[in-house]
Amino acid sequence: MSPESPAIVLESVSKRYGSATVVHDVSFTVARGEIVGFLGPNGAGKTTTMRMIAGFTTPTSGRVLVDGYDMATQNVEAARRIGYLPERPPLYETLDVRAYLRFVAKAKGVARAAMAAELERVSAACRLEAVFRHEIYKLSKGYRQRVGLAQALLGRPHVLLLDEPTAGLDPGQIHETREVIRAFGEDHAVLLSTHILPEATLICRRVAIIDHGRLLAIDSPSGLQRAAEHTNRVTLQVTGPARELREALTAVPGVLDVEIRPASGEGSALHVECHVEAKDGVEAEIARAVASRWDLHRLERQQPTLENVFLRYVSGA
Amino acid sequence: MSGLLAVYQKELAGYFRSPIAYFVVAVFLLGTGYFFLYNIFFTGDATMAGTFHNMGLLLILLVPLLSMRLFAAEYGAGTMELLLTLPLTPWQIVLGKFLGGATLVLAIAVATVVDLVPLYLFGTPETLAIVSGYLGFVLLGLACLAVGQLASALTHNQIIAALIAAAVLLALWFVGHLQAFQVSPALRALTGYLSFALHYADFIQGLVRSEAIAFYAIVSAIALTLNASYLQWQR
Repeated sequence: MSPESPAIVLESVSKRYGSATVVHDVSFTVARGEIVGFLGPNGAGKTTTMRMIAGFTTPTSGRVLVDGYDMATQNVEAARRIGYLPERPPLYETLDVRAYLRFVAKAKGVARAAMAAELERVSAACRLEAVFRHEIYKLSKGYRQRVGLAQALLGRPHVLLLDEPTAGLDPGQIHETREVIRAFGEDHAVLLSTHILPEATLICRRVAIIDHGRLLAIDSPSGLQRAAEHTNRVTLQVTGPARELREALTAVPGVLDVEIRPASGEGSALHVECHVEAKDGVEAEIARAVASRWDLHRLERQQPTLENVFLRYVSGA
Repeated sequence: MSGLLAVYQKELAGYFRSPIAYFVVAVFLLGTGYFFLYNIFFTGDATMAGTFHNMGLLLILLVPLLSMRLFAAEYGAGTMELLLTLPLTPWQIVLGKFLGGATLVLAIAVATVVDLVPLYLFGTPETLAIVSGYLGFVLLGLACLAVGQLASALTHNQIIAALIAAAVLLALWFVGHLQAFQVSPALRALTGYLSFALHYADFIQGLVRSEAIAFYAIVSAIALTLNASYLQWQR
């Protein structure tokens, strides 16, 4: 296995449950030293894809390679190279944190002599020292998530699969967790699934966008950022002449594009959509320009949501 | 090997941190103590035969409570996703869990040895019959455990797992009773061969037959193989 070949390879991977296709012909790679974000709304097929890479589920068709080992035929060899944090941290409630981590380390083949140092390393990385002897059922949600991350880091895996690792954490913990992932990603391959847009743009080098089981695009965070900015819109309902309205709106600084159509069931009112730059105060300028001359019924600023970003990718823009 | 050991140690830790194991052991020892006293005072003989028979039936009823958590609890807690993605083969998982349960069955057997103290103090029991009885008890316990573990892998609900295991084990215990109703010699032989109780009765009488040892070993092996194949098939 040459060091240049990607750590994770998906070749035309599909998964069907009965007649429902959950993942459809997905191919991509993740190289060492790279953090790839896996972005999609809930139910897009992120978790199923993660599970196929981790070896929990077998693809209906296609192939998953981890460090060159085929997940279907060389399962144990491939699994040895993976650290996996599922969406719901897989914890044994009655064990204490130490006993739990010892079990995982032992199952991953960590030698007895290296055990203490290895447990110390991951508990320091995930800040678990304070709860090391506590039973897991007594831990808060943030700690449970971090124990889950710690077990994934055990045994120094080459590949880290994290299914929504910051879900349920408070802002401070989110920051710490991102730092752990960022540090790990410097010389390992990390695939990180999330449905939070800024998370993907903040720490990932590339972002794979998935929806309805299909890979829509693999883009850079800056490309994603542009797509997100493109979804900055102000919508308004106004009664007035369409042509003059368009002229007035186009003259407002920050407005890029204007679309006008009759509002449904509102008499002579018009529905206007302005595509604007991503800066504050544009909606106030628009309100001033319109309200002084015509009747303004409603004005709304739309934030770039994941859904809107997806629409951009789906529509191929 | 270290994978199997890891699963085994986790199972043992799981047993001793859950109240169910203590409850099962306590009920078993109380039940055995009661039957022991009853049999001794009723018959006046220094023998374990009656007690062994009752211990067998207690095992059939209580082992499902030990085995029900082995896989059903893993599904419930979402830890099956961890077990199946660690570098472990299905056999390491299945055997690790089986040996964890087997340790508990052995511990139960050892704890009942205390009943032998008055037997040897006040009588002259047949030592060989007692040894073979214990051998039968352990073999029966392991076969029950393997069947119970398979039932636990088939459902996400621990109660259902225990009920399936108890139903199957009771059927295998009492199937020998059907012998009396069979006209065809082949069916008579089959119902007799399948009976957990009839093979166990041989051991109680001090008869160690290779056929009986093979029977329990085959039942355990079939259940464990189905269990490992089911894990593989689930992926």
